[in-house]
Amino acid sequence: MIRPAASRALRWWRQLQVMTVKELLQVARDTPLMLFFVFAFTVQIVMGGGRPGFELRNALLHVRDADNSAASRELASRFRPPYYVFHGAGGRPDAATRLLDRGDAMVVMDIPEGFERALAQGRPTAVQVQVDTTNSAVGLLAATYAQQIAADYATEIALARAGITAGELQSLPVIREEQRAWFNPNQDNRWFFSVGDMVMMVTLLTILLSTAALAREKERGTVEQLLVSPLSPLQILLPKVLAMTLVVVAGTMVSVFAVLGPVFSMPLQGSLPLFFTITAIYGFTSSGLGLFAATVTRNLSQAGLLAIFLFVPIILFSGIHTPDEGMPGWLHTIVLFNPMAHYIDATYSILLRGAGLDLVWDSVLAMALLGAAVFGFGVWRFRRQFE
Amino acid sequence: MNARRILTVMHKEWREMVRDPLSLVMGFVLPFALMLLIGFGMTFDVENIPLAIVDRDGSAASRDYAYRFIGSRYFDFKGYLADERKAAPLLMDGKLRAVIVIAERFERDLLAGRPAAVQVLLDGAFPDRVRITKGYISAINAAATRELIAGYLSRRDGIPAAQANELLQPFGLEMRYLYNQGVKSDWSIPPKLIMFILFFVPAFMTSLRVVREKETGTIFNIYTSPLTRVEFLLAKLAPYVAIALVNLVVLWLLAVLVFRAPFKGSFTLFFAAGALYVIATTCIGMLVSVFVRTQIAAMLISLVITFVPALQYSELEEPVTSMDPEGQLITYLLPGMHYVRVIMGTFLKNVGLEVLWPEALTLAVQAGGLFFACYLLFHKRVKA
Repeated sequence: MIRPAASRALRWWRQLQVMTVKELLQVARDTPLMLFFVFAFTVQIVMGGGRPGFELRNALLHVRDADNSAASRELASRFRPPYYVFHGAGGRPDAATRLLDRGDAMVVMDIPEGFERALAQGRPTAVQVQVDTTNSAVGLLAATYAQQIAADYATEIALARAGITAGELQSLPVIREEQRAWFNPNQDNRWFFSVGDMVMMVTLLTILLSTAALAREKERGTVEQLLVSPLSPLQILLPKVLAMTLVVVAGTMVSVFAVLGPVFSMPLQGSLPLFFTITAIYGFTSSGLGLFAATVTRNLSQAGLLAIFLFVPIILFSGIHTPDEGMPGWLHTIVLFNPMAHYIDATYSILLRGAGLDLVWDSVLAMALLGAAVFGFGVWRFRRQFE
Repeated sequence: MNARRILTVMHKEWREMVRDPLSLVMGFVLPFALMLLIGFGMTFDVENIPLAIVDRDGSAASRDYAYRFIGSRYFDFKGYLADERKAAPLLMDGKLRAVIVIAERFERDLLAGRPAAVQVLLDGAFPDRVRITKGYISAINAAATRELIAGYLSRRDGIPAAQANELLQPFGLEMRYLYNQGVKSDWSIPPKLIMFILFFVPAFMTSLRVVREKETGTIFNIYTSPLTRVEFLLAKLAPYVAIALVNLVVLWLLAVLVFRAPFKGSFTLFFAAGALYVIATTCIGMLVSVFVRTQIAAMLISLVITFVPALQYSELEEPVTSMDPEGQLITYLLPGMHYVRVIMGTFLKNVGLEVLWPEALTLAVQAGGLFFACYLLFHKRVKA
């Protein structure tokens, strides 16, 4: 008897469709929410893409040159924009601390008296550099660059004294390095941050919207109506996930075609259909997390707080903010269960590095498994909570 | 203003909170748990960079050179590769971040007194990390080059290698890292997390308060009561400011006791500025709540407009001086950065109000301005 089975399947499918349309309509009728979607996938990506990142830019430099010689002036002049901005000179010894305290200088350099003479006579001398490292990442960059600049200058002086000219250096046994950064040759931060922001928006919206969609029905009691309808728990929950997935896939399409390409001129390397498919899988997984938050709580306030506890670590430990290589070991294990970490991997690989499914399949599989587990748990919990 | 009326509404809010004990408990547990998790996990250090080496020369010199990278704590050596073509898929998949290719004639060139070529391939997808990685590699190459030149000089002039090496470093930089002596990210991150967490948690908790009454219709009780707008807003805000203040102290204790961040300045200043800060963030939540019509919109909008700036426009990560003008404007307009300055001033720098008064003043203006905005947007009349 194929007919009844076929008509049952058809009815099941229609019910799913109707419920999905209901979810989409609910979202579409909330005007502030709709405006917000547009904002999140366009303006927010443009703004987020403009982040500077941990780049040393305009570090305020204060120089106290007690030598005031050609050599000392040459050294100071090598601290150039865009990395350093010359922001003042002189002052008493205790003034340095005050400048750093107030944030009026980030780097204070003290060149000792007799610097040039010491260099000429071959006596070792030292230049003191104080760096504000309250922002450790940028402070470290400021220090590293300062050391590079000083080392280059020191080598030049030494070579000149040894009678080796710059031209001769090319006929000496030295290491000649050629560095090439693939996939983003000019280290355009915007390519990195705009994609990162898009992924973050997908995460935030799917988790929060699906949490809210279910928590609201529970709070208002409309979920009771759904339970007495001929719908199965799966048919109640799946449409919510589907609706949110559709919304974010549409959102990423807007981001990719309206922002990443035209605004940031990103060379979209890989297959876009593959990327949108993976986005749909991730949307399913991360909406599943939102449903989970709503099924284990009673109202929107509880569900929202639980959702925060989910999305904050998911975003911070996805690889955008904390480099996965630098993470402590225990966190590495947890991150294996972070769907956004897998989505980020796959997204950068496809959009920036031009990878295909043959390379990113492991990330996709991990996302799908996590999604199935979370969603399965949600359906099971959903049925149980009313028994 | 009538204190009794305010107290009555506050009492009602309090009853509501107590009858939803899970939310109340989560309001305290969430900041606490986030602080521990992020405080221990977050780092900006770039270390253990996965690296592979293609040694086309296979000589003693090239192996010696490769060991400079294999032995470095900044790199996590994954093995030798036969050729560059093998490296491409690994870089594409993010399994490797750097590949060093040593040319065929590496040893022969060096022995003949010629420059030897080394090619470095990097995964450019993460520009911040590429910049730092490039720095590490250049430093290793500079050290190798200096040793090679020292060897050349010692042969040419007949002086010991050590002396030649010294000659090549006529002066050095004496670095002093202020406020964060080990340049450990650990010291600066936990204190900044106080700002981060207290940006979005109070804003979210408050954002549901008015819109919930709109959704359930109980707001009409308020509309028809003699309660004034200011009284209503104050009564609604006060309990959430109080929760945030308790969290402020708890997070401070975690930063000092668990993460061992040095606290050098005045607690009064830290707490007073913190109070202004949480009033501001609570008011952001309230502003969303009086503005939107549904709890879903309130939740989503309040979280995104506080979480994203807490991360990007607050000096949690990059400093305001390196941002472009639009980013700087957003950063100055929002309370996050101003409070981070107070946190850094009182934790690591030991500066007082004589330096931090502009930040404190800005926070006060922001708290007042946001409250005033709530007042302007909240009407006791249903819009037609």
